[in-house]
Amino acid sequence: MENFLNFFTVLTDPYLFLMVGVGTFAGVYIGAIPGLSVTMAVSILISFTFSWEVHPAIALMIGIYMGGVYGGSRTAILLNIPGAPSAIATAMDGYPMALKGKAGEAIGVTTVMSFLGGFIGIFVLAVAAPFISDFALKFQPRDYMFLAVLGILLVGSLSTGSLIKGIFAGALGLAIGSVGMDPLTFTPRLTFDLTFMKSGISFIAVMIGMFGVSEALLQLHQVGLPSIRQKIDRIIPSFGTVKKHLGLSMQTSTIGVIIGALPGTGGDIAALMAYDHAKRVTKNPEVPFGEGAIEGLVAPETANNAAVGGAFIPMMTLGIPGDAVTAIMIGALFIHGLNPGPMLMIEKPDMFWFIVGALVVANFFMLLFGLTGIKFFTKVVEMPRSVLIPLILLLSIVGSYAVNNSISDVYWMLGFGVFGYFMRHYGYPLGPVILGVILSRLLDDNWRRAIISEKEDLGRFFVGVFSSPLSTILLAAVILIFVSQTPLWAKMKSRLSSAKNRSHS
Amino acid sequence: MKRIVLGAVAALTMATGAMAEGYPTKEIQGIIQWGAGGSTDTVMRSVTPHAEAVLGGTVVMQNMTGGVGAIALNYVADAEADGYTVLMGAENPLLYKVMGLGEKDYSDFIPVSILARGTAILVANVDAPFDDYAGMIAYINENPGELKLGATGPGGLPSVITAMMNTVEGELDVIAVPFDGDGPALTALQGGAIDVMPAVLGAAIEGIKAGNMKPLAVFDLEANQHLPEVPTIVSFNEGYADFLPWGPFFGVFVKQGTPDDVVASLQAAYHEGAQHEDFVALMDGRGFTLMNISGDEAQSFLTAWQQNTAWLLQDAGLTQASPEDFGIARPAE
Amino acid sequence: MSQTEDKYDDHHDGRSDATPGGYANERRPGELIFTLFLVIVSAILLLEAYGISGLKKLSSPGVIPMATTGVMLVTGLIILFQTVRLPKVATETIAKDILPIVVIVFVAILAGFSFLLKPLGFVPSAFMFLVFSIKFLSRRNWAYVLGLSLLTLVGIWLIFRVVFSVLMPAGVFPEAELIQFFRTLFAGAE
Repeated sequence: MENFLNFFTVLTDPYLFLMVGVGTFAGVYIGAIPGLSVTMAVSILISFTFSWEVHPAIALMIGIYMGGVYGGSRTAILLNIPGAPSAIATAMDGYPMALKGKAGEAIGVTTVMSFLGGFIGIFVLAVAAPFISDFALKFQPRDYMFLAVLGILLVGSLSTGSLIKGIFAGALGLAIGSVGMDPLTFTPRLTFDLTFMKSGISFIAVMIGMFGVSEALLQLHQVGLPSIRQKIDRIIPSFGTVKKHLGLSMQTSTIGVIIGALPGTGGDIAALMAYDHAKRVTKNPEVPFGEGAIEGLVAPETANNAAVGGAFIPMMTLGIPGDAVTAIMIGALFIHGLNPGPMLMIEKPDMFWFIVGALVVANFFMLLFGLTGIKFFTKVVEMPRSVLIPLILLLSIVGSYAVNNSISDVYWMLGFGVFGYFMRHYGYPLGPVILGVILSRLLDDNWRRAIISEKEDLGRFFVGVFSSPLSTILLAAVILIFVSQTPLWAKMKSRLSSAKNRSHS
Repeated sequence: MKRIVLGAVAALTMATGAMAEGYPTKEIQGIIQWGAGGSTDTVMRSVTPHAEAVLGGTVVMQNMTGGVGAIALNYVADAEADGYTVLMGAENPLLYKVMGLGEKDYSDFIPVSILARGTAILVANVDAPFDDYAGMIAYINENPGELKLGATGPGGLPSVITAMMNTVEGELDVIAVPFDGDGPALTALQGGAIDVMPAVLGAAIEGIKAGNMKPLAVFDLEANQHLPEVPTIVSFNEGYADFLPWGPFFGVFVKQGTPDDVVASLQAAYHEGAQHEDFVALMDGRGFTLMNISGDEAQSFLTAWQQNTAWLLQDAGLTQASPEDFGIARPAE
Repeated sequence: MSQTEDKYDDHHDGRSDATPGGYANERRPGELIFTLFLVIVSAILLLEAYGISGLKKLSSPGVIPMATTGVMLVTGLIILFQTVRLPKVATETIAKDILPIVVIVFVAILAGFSFLLKPLGFVPSAFMFLVFSIKFLSRRNWAYVLGLSLLTLVGIWLIFRVVFSVLMPAGVFPEAELIQFFRTLFAGAE
């Protein structure tokens, strides 16, 4: 009980309260700018806050984390350029709303839903952290592999047009992810013996190119047209709207917490999975998905903010990072003389409750900064395109360079930008490419780990799968979704029959 | 004795430190070989602010990952040898040549400071059917090809420890399951995906203390002060004494050809920085052995480390090219 | 207003994955060449993937790359087969709808920028990029263009270089010295 009182540390100490606020404010803008990432900001803060006490340093980082995960949705809605990977799904229904002049409404829903998701994530962290982390530890390499396959099956719902083009795009993404020195065997893969290819292709460079540069090039077609005036009078969604989507947001938040808590998967995958889930369970959306469906905003935004609380679960209970940001925070705790690990909860339970408290405060600040300052953002979007497009391109270049201080990432980014431009024109979906890149390592590494563990024997592999309830459930889910939910066979059949019909006529 | 030598070196570097006039006139780039949040990153980000204070300049640290650190190494090697680009790395580059990962290693650099050395430890899943190293060897002999041993790719700490075990005990019939770092491997160990993992002490210590994993043996000549009850590997088999002490290390380097006075300034700065009580406490807490050596002492440490490890891997058949091809002599018996 | 709305609602450019570009039953100009390009790239990648480790073991590092590039080749061929049989869109041309001159010019400007980035350094090359591209797009007077470019560049430089210490290639612009100058200035003032 005494330790629980640390929950209120942030609320009672004005300095810490301020730090969380400053962090969240900065985070929203860092998240919104495509070239700046939360990971980058937090790792710089390690040096910056080196001489500080541990509490304000962590308070600032938590603010940036919470704000940053949310901030990615801003540019996704207003510019069709996700500011962070976890906002890719948000652009799909957010931008169509902005085109109708309803950006204010979209931002409002996004903010409230992010707040809701964030809160569920924190709640699970606070009450069930040890339970969830035990569950997360149970995932064996084969389970991660099935999870990756489940993720890849999302291609079905991400490719609205031609499914076959979606499959091509997904496979391309998986191939891009395997370029470079294989981290498990140090074998060069798909490098054509070129030195600059050995370091691989940065996933952020692909994302910035495909979504940022190709969008900017596409908008060049409309450079002379006036910007769309955004109505920003009605921002806060009605209680009815929130209540209507409460059920969905609970489900997608659960997806977010679990995916966030698993080491090696984070908010980006969670958001895409949640979008897919929303598409499956929403039978009659008021507006179709892809044209501004509220459900298409609710799902990814609840999930990615719920994943924040989720990512802290293995970090606080086991000292295992749930994602890239918590990995850096673990380093920060070390530098400040703490030893993150299974003993942290026992030796320093006050730290746990302090972090939970800081997350709650950050979540409220996110709500505050999310619902205010929208005017500034819409002003940026209403800038003439002749200035906005060069600005986006310059940010894309700086941002892709900043990921790994590498000039070759800039070339990749531009290359994929031009390639993505053509893909858009010819009806290839871009989401599956990014999905493929994100999942490539998860699938490839864990497939090899799983099969090596079973001595290269597929028989032994399946015996292993069926002797574990978790693996069996995951495999069943893969088969179920593949056969029934994804309209793969149905589509193929209808395509085949229509091809036949055409050839007959 | 060692202390006196250290003191003398320190006095010498302190005396010459004042010579580099006007250095630094601009900020220094510190290129960290590994990603944010890793142990190299943590060590460098915690020692550098203390060194900055001595140096009276700013070191801007950047993480540059990829190619097992070779990208960062080549970046610094391609920069001017003016002391404004500093490499912050770990032990891996010493194996690049024999592992076919690159043509350059620390022989193209001057060590500013070898900061600290880690100790390896063998840990097992809590449910493993053995409690110490001898039990593990017995289990492997009774159940050939069943024990899952964690690995992190050729040249990593687990591969070196495994090579040592194969050299001392004869070829062990185990399944080596590869991971992309000891963090993920230790997570998998706790989940039961692997049975045994050779890891650096600092990464495993919290898990051991909490009873989430079982220590089998410390790879050192003497018991570790943080885990005094864990037996040393030499207490099970004397044969390991030839290879120990061995461990990964962290160091700061500048390109060969950097002016002597600049090197001296940096050496003095890092030497004093590494003595700061916060840094000493941090290293101790993570189970690292503080070294803080530079100059000839550091050079001979690097040479010996490279000879021992490269030939160990060569004899275990894990190298791409013989150490001989690069003029790495077999260590004197 | 309705006209501009139509323009924004033009789905054929592939604004997002939910509203993919192209036409269901017609082939856009250049689509066949693009598809052919994809098939050739897939084939080359599959060959390269086979070269990684062959098909020795299920756990070879080349297995997943071969599987993925194999899927690329197969789906690429299916798409090619489908595309060939589609009639061409009568109303579109490459120059008007796919690659208008403005896009080609911009890609050229970007390529120039990225190649000058390293030798010249970030600050001068980015300034040139901003000036060229804003002038080209807005056709406003030079004072407007130069002022706006300078303002944008200073903003970005401050955020990335000073706040986030991202070390863009320095090139000919002595930015490290400049920062040190200000640092000593502030240190002296304290």
